[in-house]
This record gives sequence, structure tokens and C-alpha cells, in this order.
Amino acid sequence: CEEEAVCVIMCASVKYNIRGPALIPRMKTKHRIYYITLFSIVLLGLIATGMFQFWPHSIESSNDWNVEKRSVRDVPVVRLPADSPIPERGDLSCRMHTCFDVYRCGFNPKNKIKVYIYALKKYVDDFGVPVSNTISREYNELLTAISDSDYYTDDINRACLFVPSIDVLNQNTLRIKETAQALAQLARWDRGTNHLLFNMLPGGPPDYNTALDVPRDRALLAGGGFSTWTYRQGYDVSIPVYSPLSAEVDLPEKGPGPRRYFLLSSQVGLHPEYREDIEALQVKHGESVLVLDKCTNLSEGVLSVRKRCHKHQVFDYPQVLQEATFCVVLRGARLGQAVLSDVLQAGCVPVVIADSYILPFSEVLDWKRASVVVPEEKMSDVYSILQSIPQRQIEEMQRQARWFWEAYFQSIKAIALATLQIINDRIYPYAAISYEEWNDPPAVKWGSVSNPLFLPLIPPQSQGFTAIVLTYDRVESLFRVITEVSKVPSLSKLLVVWNNQNKNPPEDSLWPKIRVPLKVVRTAENKLSNRFFPYDEIETEAVLAIDDDIIMLTSDELQFGYEVWREFPDRLVGYPGRLHLWDHEMNKWKYESEWTNEVSMVLTGAAFYHKYFNYLYTYKMPGDIKNWVDAHMNCEDIAMNFLVANVTGKAVIKVTPRKKFKCPECTAIDGLSLDQTHMVERSECINKFASVFGTMPLKVVEHRADPVLYKDDFPEKLKSFPNIGSL
Amino acid sequence: MQSWRRKSLWLALSASWLLLVLLGGFSLLRLALPPRPRPRAPQGWPRWLDADLLQSFSQSGELPEDAAQPPRAPHGGSCNWGSCFDTSKCRGDGLKVFVYPAAGPISETHRKILASIEGSRFHTLSPAGACLLLLLSLDAQTGECSSMPLQWNRGRNHLVLRLHPAPCPRTFQLGQAMVAEASPTVDSFRAGFDVALPFLPEAHPLRGGAPGQLRQHSPQPGVALLALEEERGGWRTAGTNSSACPWDGRCEQDPGPGQTQRWEMLPNATFCLISGHHPQAASRFLQALQAGCIPVLLSPRWELPFSEVIDWTKAAIVADERLLLQVLAALQEMSPAQVLALRQQTQFLWDAYFSSVEKVIHTTLEVIQDRIFGTSAHPSLLWNSPPGALMALSTFSTRLPQPHPESHSAWGSGRFSALIWVGASGQPPLKLIQAVAGSQHCAQILVLWSNERPLPSRWTETAVPLTVIDGCRKVSDRFFPYSTIRTDAILSLDARSSLSTSEVDFAFVVWQSFPERMVGFLTSSHFWDEAHGGWGYTAKRTNEFSMVLTMAAFYHRYYHTLFTHSLPKALRTLADEAPTCVDVLMNFLVAAVTKLPPIKVPYAKQRQEAASLVPGGPETRPKLQAPDPNCINQIAAAFGHMPLRSSRLRLDPVLFKDPVSVQRKKYRSLEKP
Repeated sequence: CEEEAVCVIMCASVKYNIRGPALIPRMKTKHRIYYITLFSIVLLGLIATGMFQFWPHSIESSNDWNVEKRSVRDVPVVRLPADSPIPERGDLSCRMHTCFDVYRCGFNPKNKIKVYIYALKKYVDDFGVPVSNTISREYNELLTAISDSDYYTDDINRACLFVPSIDVLNQNTLRIKETAQALAQLARWDRGTNHLLFNMLPGGPPDYNTALDVPRDRALLAGGGFSTWTYRQGYDVSIPVYSPLSAEVDLPEKGPGPRRYFLLSSQVGLHPEYREDIEALQVKHGESVLVLDKCTNLSEGVLSVRKRCHKHQVFDYPQVLQEATFCVVLRGARLGQAVLSDVLQAGCVPVVIADSYILPFSEVLDWKRASVVVPEEKMSDVYSILQSIPQRQIEEMQRQARWFWEAYFQSIKAIALATLQIINDRIYPYAAISYEEWNDPPAVKWGSVSNPLFLPLIPPQSQGFTAIVLTYDRVESLFRVITEVSKVPSLSKLLVVWNNQNKNPPEDSLWPKIRVPLKVVRTAENKLSNRFFPYDEIETEAVLAIDDDIIMLTSDELQFGYEVWREFPDRLVGYPGRLHLWDHEMNKWKYESEWTNEVSMVLTGAAFYHKYFNYLYTYKMPGDIKNWVDAHMNCEDIAMNFLVANVTGKAVIKVTPRKKFKCPECTAIDGLSLDQTHMVERSECINKFASVFGTMPLKVVEHRADPVLYKDDFPEKLKSFPNIGSL
Repeated sequence: MQSWRRKSLWLALSASWLLLVLLGGFSLLRLALPPRPRPRAPQGWPRWLDADLLQSFSQSGELPEDAAQPPRAPHGGSCNWGSCFDTSKCRGDGLKVFVYPAAGPISETHRKILASIEGSRFHTLSPAGACLLLLLSLDAQTGECSSMPLQWNRGRNHLVLRLHPAPCPRTFQLGQAMVAEASPTVDSFRAGFDVALPFLPEAHPLRGGAPGQLRQHSPQPGVALLALEEERGGWRTAGTNSSACPWDGRCEQDPGPGQTQRWEMLPNATFCLISGHHPQAASRFLQALQAGCIPVLLSPRWELPFSEVIDWTKAAIVADERLLLQVLAALQEMSPAQVLALRQQTQFLWDAYFSSVEKVIHTTLEVIQDRIFGTSAHPSLLWNSPPGALMALSTFSTRLPQPHPESHSAWGSGRFSALIWVGASGQPPLKLIQAVAGSQHCAQILVLWSNERPLPSRWTETAVPLTVIDGCRKVSDRFFPYSTIRTDAILSLDARSSLSTSEVDFAFVVWQSFPERMVGFLTSSHFWDEAHGGWGYTAKRTNEFSMVLTMAAFYHRYYHTLFTHSLPKALRTLADEAPTCVDVLMNFLVAAVTKLPPIKVPYAKQRQEAASLVPGGPETRPKLQAPDPNCINQIAAAFGHMPLRSSRLRLDPVLFKDPVSVQRKKYRSLEKP
């Protein structure tokens, strides 16, 4: 509208000019010349401005015609001469390393491929007859989804994957040879390298090939309905056939469990031979099998697509699918059937009877968890095969089926993005999405614990452990701890974390002389989390965190603690144990340090653990827990207990009998006694952490670890760890 | 009038000027600064005005026509599982495998393979009853190639085992036979039909095999980031800070001294870079796996072993060789969590499927069995997490969320079943039954009557159901998976054991924390006997132990299934003949699964004994006398390695013997002297 405004002004000034002569003769000649010059300048200026306003705009707007809304009918027309080149047929031996130019994907910093979409054109042959429908609704949605995603780039030079806007979703709507010619004249076609075609309905009568018949050379094909003969493993992507009912019908998720029909066949127009087989099942098993067909006597105005009939009974489709536990998905002329999507949406377990069919996204999806595949020749045994599946497994499959639909079938967008993700994972395998992420429903993902130290392994004793002493300024006590700890045979290094910025650590000569290396680390800030920092100096896997006032542990006790850690390297192994309790009156968690029969935490004032947990504590602690601990100068040990229990799903191990510890809880704040407020604060910590973790990860156990012969009637001198439990 | 005209003229003029300046100025400004690209909104796919009017890709009229296709005849050219394997033969008792006898002299590897199949539960001697017929394609060394066997039947239900890539010119058409081949090329491999095997070195052990070399979970600090294979054999390491091209030797001048080192054996490195082309790569791959060095495979042209079931993305990195720079950068930036997980997975996979010929062959058969089983096959989780699918029979509860005892999912009702074996004494163990039934966790008691005497007609009244199973004569019957056992936890007892309710309660609570392990009261330990050059074991009380006696132990009922269905028959016979052996055997079995020691809990009677009785008195310590070294050595030979691990700890109640009022203690009777 800017242009229009300019035009009005210009037209007005032109009018003025026309009236000019009537006005000007009355003036003096000098003036007249003056005025005329002035006017002409203004006029020229205005014209120039107007031109300027118009020209560049018209150029640009042809450039970015696609930001505005346009009609599909107005796209440029491209005439394909009859003798323009045709690509070769698809190369069946193509693999990523032979047919895909991965160099184009080399400069993507975030391990994400970049996808370019060609502009939409309308292709006609020499006689002006269109090659195909310009674009279908679904293909438009698909390209929109790609364009809205992170994969999209509008820079053809930076793109790694090219998606033609030539719609080949359905082979029946296009002319094969001419479509191929259209592909071949794309700007970066280059034998189809790095081009991705989406096709859901391949083949045509009479033989219905299982892959798109359009010659496409090296282009990747995302196809619905591949068979093992046409699918190029690791190159093509098998995609679902989209069902429009996914968008039209809202089927709320139905909980798993037994349903009215055990087996349902809802497909219309089955081949008579198959229908016979399935109807035989119905005769044999009666009510639990339901076979539906097209309705013949529907009244006018009823959508026949949404109705199915059994004899004279009419059922709503796809709602009826929710009434069945298993639903048959039988091959038609094509292997890929849209009904698979409807069945999954209904949470019905698909029974896929289509020999050699490559199930959608089978490269990443574990279909064994969501479907039953039955060979065609075993069709008569379907019922007994299904009956042998335990109920529990059926329920899991029902949940899984629905989840697959929600994540990968629901919309064209879901299909497009999953396809690109699969290709992306092939190119950047080190950043690929894991099996669990692809296959586990969200509930399972959140609920499952995967222990980072899952390999059962007892580390060799020779490795020893690194003792980390956190200290502020209690030098005398610190030195005693160092001397005591240095007597432990398996100690391999001692690290003092000097947390006092106002005071220098004592001079080297003053430190106790011990047999292992002693390192002092100075910290930048007096923070409790410094104790759990993954210092480069830690060379052993085992870490002993010990406070600078824990002098009551004997060498036997510490050595035994290390031995216990070796048997449980994925757990916190500590000396003083603590418990969390549910306070029914206050309705919240409570911290307990009394003599109890149970343990759920150990204090890190003296505890062994794997150094990996230092990394987790420092970099992966959820929420604001780390800052909270540093701000409150308390509860770092509780936070560590939460972290380890949450990530491993395992309980702590308390070692050796209870001892009188000198207020082990008040390490940081000197002088604060074990009083009520302290306990209250630690209870607060538990409640705070439980809310951040969203769960209570701590596990309660009733055992502690002692040496095998502890307190047994056995000669003391023959025991490995005699000096345990002495006060 | 004049002035009015002039005024209006002036007004018009100045207005025009103003306009000119405004519009022109802007235009001039734009003209002056055009090279700076305007921040363009990313132009995407256009939003068509008539998008809603577009036609759907599938016209509804197409559907009926789509369906009218007759059943397809089996495809000629190539094979897949559905069309070329007849599962109906496997209907009866699952996968039964017949192996064609070798015609002439056989190689060492061949012999090992035969032995491992014959020792498996899949083996059958009749080709008619077999569902899979296995043909060993001989290796090149013997110089002989197999001829077409008798029951060939166009290769249907046949598996041709080739340990070396195509050693023989094909003397016969494969027909419909499957091929299990070491590192097959990706082009010839038929996914879902053929089986990809690892490349086995000649010296690969038959059983057991060397365990993984990983000694600790996380890489040692300062260890080399990369080990690179050398073409002449051997390895070379490159530090983390070396330049970006350490593999091709062209920038050899760059790294300073000590930057790269040459090694014959696999060095200690986090990643092992293996090029995918040449055939040695496959053996390098196994080498790296064993060493816990994360294999980084560059565009392998061969199929990774057992790729049908093993999720290799969890243990190795398969990258495109053309993006080497990116790969190296990605390795350097890989998070400790990822490295930790990959490293551990290499070890798990090595130990579970690759360390011996037997494991490789059994895995091959399990893969095929899983195809036959269809829905009741091992789920991916079981294949890819410890202890692996070979240790988790699919005949046991299939596809529980996590069917293995390792998992801590909600099993059972938090109760146990007591299994009391009544042997020679023939007396109903009434006292023991009372003690066990007194436990709040006890769900049922099963008495296995293994005595010539008739069953006593009267048993004590107990709060829990008591079942007597008669006729269990063999010792191995003790570990049969009786269908009457309804709980996951089993307390295995001997009629002569004596336990208190408190002990049972505490041990069960401990077992709940360690459901994959055995939790027992009495222990023994194994040792290497230098004098005899073999293993021995003793029940003497020492500072450590590696076995718990099954006369009083908790364990998961899953081990009954494993004991009965997965142990070689010879071992069960051994246990039947020498009953003292059964303890050792059971401990071997559990340790082979868990790779961890059992757990000991306090046993009051033991302390008494030690105080009052002569050690080794026959009455108090039944079965402990005279441990038979033959037994442990035979079992160790059958397992191929020593799975037992020692423990130095005992789990006691938290307040055990603590100087605190007995009233506070939950398991106070454990402390009675």
C-alpha cells in the first residue's frame, strides 16, 4: 500500500501541473522561469522517487513471493521438452557411503543436517498438459513441516539434503516419465545425489511395484510400502502411509486391558481368498472374532468411509477398532496400508500379515514391542498364535501401539520429522538418538533408572583410593586426620581442599610427612560444593570424602570401607548412617539421626564413592540444588545421597558399627551444635530436594556391612580387620 | 487574491518539497547503504492461500482397486525369513538343530563348533526331527569343500556356517539356505535372514574365554584418546591434543616426540579407530571390544556381528570416513557419561556373546530361535543389557518389563517360598517348618521328600500352605522350577538346617535389596591349589568367601529355570552323583550370571558351634566335610573359566551388637549368644 500512496501524490502533482499555465502567465517572466524550474525539479524528484519506490520493490517481491500468501495456481509454469533427459532407474546397490555426498553435510556445527526445499513449479509437457497435480494437501503439509523445523535452510549452497517440491506421494496421480524429467532438471539434481523423495503409495496396476516407479537414480526414497526386495537397508527410509482419519477423528486414548473382541478385521475389499480365511476364523471362534466389510445399504449422506458392516449391523469406523485387542492389517495390492495408522491410533495391536513388508521406520522402531507379524501362509493359525501371548505383554503392546501412533504416525509433520531424524542419525552417529528415546513411551522414559555404572565389576585393589579432605582452618585437626588416613594401606593420594580464601595454607615443611603424594587445592570461594568438584588430581576411581575432624576412624575401618566400596562401586559407602522418615503429622519428610534399625543415607563426612559422581554433582545436579547448598552452607551430603540414589536406583551401604562421632553434621559451620534448628534445616533440605527431583529417590535398607568374622568367636589375630568398632 | 494565490502556490511547493525530501531522502539513504543485507526473515515454504482446497494425495476411489490382488507366490530371486524358512517344523519343542557330520579330517575351529553345538540344549541327532539343519562350510586350511548334503531340499531350513569369508568356491547353489558368515559384506547380507558372525581367530577358546580387560569403569586420566590401527598390524596411539590428522601419516612431522607411540598389543586408549575396508578390521574390532576400547568404525563395508539383535550404537561408533574431522572433534567433545556407557557396553557384549566359540554359536542359535518365537522372543532390552540374552531364557517369564533378577521392578508380593529338601534323615523337619512358617514374609512351604520311607501322614499345623512333593530322588530335583512356586524368592533349605525366624526375616529383607544374588548363612571359599595345579574349596571359616551353601539360602526362582534348562546335562549328572557338588554348581551358575559374589548374613548357630564344638563334627555341619576338589575342577572346566568372586563382608542388621538397648533393635534374637 506504500506504492499506492505515492501514486496518489504523483497524480495530484500532475494535475497541478496541468492547471499551471492558467496561473503562471500573470507573473513576471523572471518569476515564471523560476517557478517552472522549481516545479520541474519537484516533479522530476517525485517521479524519480516514485520510480525508485516501485522498481526495487517489484524486483524483491518476485524474490520473496513465498513469504506472502499466494495461490498454488499462480506458480510459474515450466515446459518440459519431450526429449529432456530422464534419470536412470533407482540404483539398488546404493548405500550412504557410495551414493550420498556427505561432504555437503560437513559444515553443520550442531550435528544437524540442513534441508533445502525447491520452489514450487508447475510442469507441463510440450502440449501444455500438466505432468501431475501441482501439489497435494499432504505434501504441502510435509514441506511446511520441514520448512518450520530446525533442519530447514533457504541457502541452496549450505544444504545437505534437497527435497523437490514435485509431489510423488501417490504414484497414480503422476506421469512417470515426465515426472522423472522434471526431477532431472532440478538445479542441483546431480544424478539425484542427496535428494529425498517422499512416496506413500508406490506402484500401479497391474503389478504394483513396492517402490516408486519414477526413475530417480541415486535419490533417497522415503517410501511407504517397501518390501525386502526393494528396500535399500540403511539408505531408504520406510515411512507409514498416512491416514487422513488421524486428523479427522479424535480417538481418546483407551486404557490397556481386555476388550470386547479379541480379533478384528476392518479392511474393506480384501481379496476373496483372504476374506475366506478370516471368516473361517470367525466361524471357529465365534463372538471373539469380528470381520467387517463395506456397507452396502447405507442411506444417503452417510460417509461410507466411516462405516463398516457385519451382516446388517453397522459400526462406526475407526471407533470400532477401540473395541478390539488385535486388529488385522492385511496386505492389499500394496504392502503399506493406511489402516495400520488407524489401528495404532485405536490402541489396537496390529497383526501384520504382509510378507516381506518393511514396517514403517523399522530402522529405529522396535515393532516386536507393538505388533505381531504373521506370515501369510500361517493366516489360519493367527488365533492360536495370538492366544499364546500373555495378557501382560498384550497390555504393553497396546500402550506401545498408541505411543507409536502419537509419536510417529499422528501427522504428516511427525512422519516428516522422524524421516529426517533417521537420516540425521546416520550422518552424525555420535549424536544419534538412542533406542530408548525412539521406543520407550514417555512414562517408561521417566520411570526407568539406568545406572551409569551398570557393568558388574570389582575394581582391582591395587588402584587404591584418593582421600579428599575439605578444610577451612582447623589445621591441627586436619594434620591429625592426614596422619591417620595415611596409615590406610590402599590410600594412593591425599588431596586437601583448602576452602579458606583469607588464609594461606601452612607452609610445605609443616605438613605431616606421609608415604603418598599430598596435594593442596586452593579454592576461589568458600563453597561446600568444592568438596565434590572433579579435580584433575583425582586419578583413582574411588574417592574418600572425609572431614578435617574425623579422627575417630581406625585404619582397619577405612581399609574395610574401601574393600566394601570395591564390591559396590556404584554406591555411596559411608560410616555414619542417617534416615529419612515421613512425618504423618506434618505431612512432609523428616531427617532422623537417632539410633534406628534402618538407613537411607550416609554422611559424606566420611564416605567412599566413585569419582564419576563428582562429575554428576558438579555438572548434572538437577534444579538449583547446588546453589541452594552453597547458599545455605549445609546439606551437601544429603544432595549427594539424593543424586546417587536417583541415578542408580540403589541404596547406600553403611559400614561398621555406630561410633560416637563428634557432630559429623556440623562440618562447615564451626561451633554450631547438633541442635534442633540444625535438624530442622536438614529436614527442610530433604523436602526441598524431593520436590526438585520430583520423587523420593532414597532407598531404605536394614543392613550394614561388617567384616565376615566381625564379633564372631574367632581368634582376633586371624581376622583381617580386627580393629573395628572400638570406641 | 494574488497573495492568496502566491501563498497557496508556495504552500503547494513547500509541501512537494517536503514530500520529496522525505521520500527521496529515504530512498537515497537506502541507495547509499544497500550492500548491508537486511535481516531477512527466513523464507520458508509459502503459506498457500488455497492450501485448504488442495486435494488429498489418496483419492478415496482408489481403495477397492488397491486391494484386489491375489496372494503372492514366493519370490524367486532372493530369500527372506517369511518365504524361505518353514517354522512349522519347530512347533514342537522349539529350535532343534542337526549338524551334518564332517566328511574328512576337521580343523580345530570346526571341532570347537561341533562341540559347542553338541553341548547345547538345541542339539538333536535326528535330521528328521530337526527344525534347523546346520552345515559347516569348511575352512580353507583343510582344503576340502563340502558337497551337497543328503537332506538338502533346496536349502530349506538350512544354515550354512562360514567362519571365513567365502573360503570355498561355491560347489552348490545356496538355494533357500541361510548363511551365517564372519563379517559378511553389507551388499550380500540379507538382513533378517542371514546371520552376521564375528571374525573368530583360530585360537579363540571353546568355552569361557578371556574376560574383558576393562578393570575400571571410567578411563584413567591421561590415557590416550585414540588408538589407531596400523596397516602392518599393531596399534599406534595419539594424544588428545594432537593435530586433526593423526591417522594418515601425512602430518607425521607435526606431533612431537612421545606424541605417538607404536604398540604390538592394543594400547590403553579410550577410542580405537578402525578403518572399515580391509578384512583384518573385523578381528581388530573384536580386539578393541575385549580391551574396552570403544571401537570407532569408519564406513565399515561389512555387517557388524549379530546386528539383528545387538544395538551397536550403545557400544561402538560407526561413522562416515569422509567426515573424519567432525568425528575426531565429536570424540574429543564426548561427554564423560557417554564414554562411560560405551566403555561398559563393550565389556558386557564381549563377555556375553563373543569371548568364546561356544558363546558365538549359542548366540547364533538364539538369534534364529528368536525369529521362530516371534512375539515371545527376547526383547531388545534383554539382548543389550547385562547379563544378556544367553543368560536369560526366553522360556522363563517372557517380556516382563525387566524379566531378569537384576531388575528391581515390583516383583512378587514381597514374600518367599521355602523349599525344604528332606534327604536321608527321613524325619519331617517340624522345628524348621515352624521357624520358617513363623516369618511374616513366608508365603508357602514346599517339602521335597527324597526318602525311601513313606510320607508321614501328619504334619504340623502352619499358618502358611504346606505342599509335599514326593519322589524327588535326584539332588538336581531340588532346583527344578516347580510350577507350584508362586513367589520370586526361594528359600532353599535342608531338613537338617536350623534357622530362627529372625534369621530368616533378616536374610529375606537383605535379599530384597539384592534379588539377583544368593543370600546365605553358611559359606565356603574357593582357592587355587598350587600343589595340585587345580582349584580347591574349603568350608573353613576365613576372612572371605565366594560361595554360600544352598542348604540355607535365598535366591530368585529364575535360577531354577536356568539350572534345569540351560546347564549342560553332564553337569547336572555330576551334581546328582556327588551331592556335595550341587552347592558349587549353583554358586557357579549364579556367579556366571551376576559376575558378583554372593552375600552372607549372620547365623547365630555358627558362632555357637565355633565356641562349643569340635569343628567339622558330622552332625552339626552336614555336607561340609570333605569337599571334593574333582567337583570344582570339573565344573570350572565345563564353564571354561572361574566365575566365582570373593567377598570380604557380611551384611548385619544396622544395630547389630551395638551398645544400645536391645529394645531398640529389630532383630534382637540374632544377637543371642
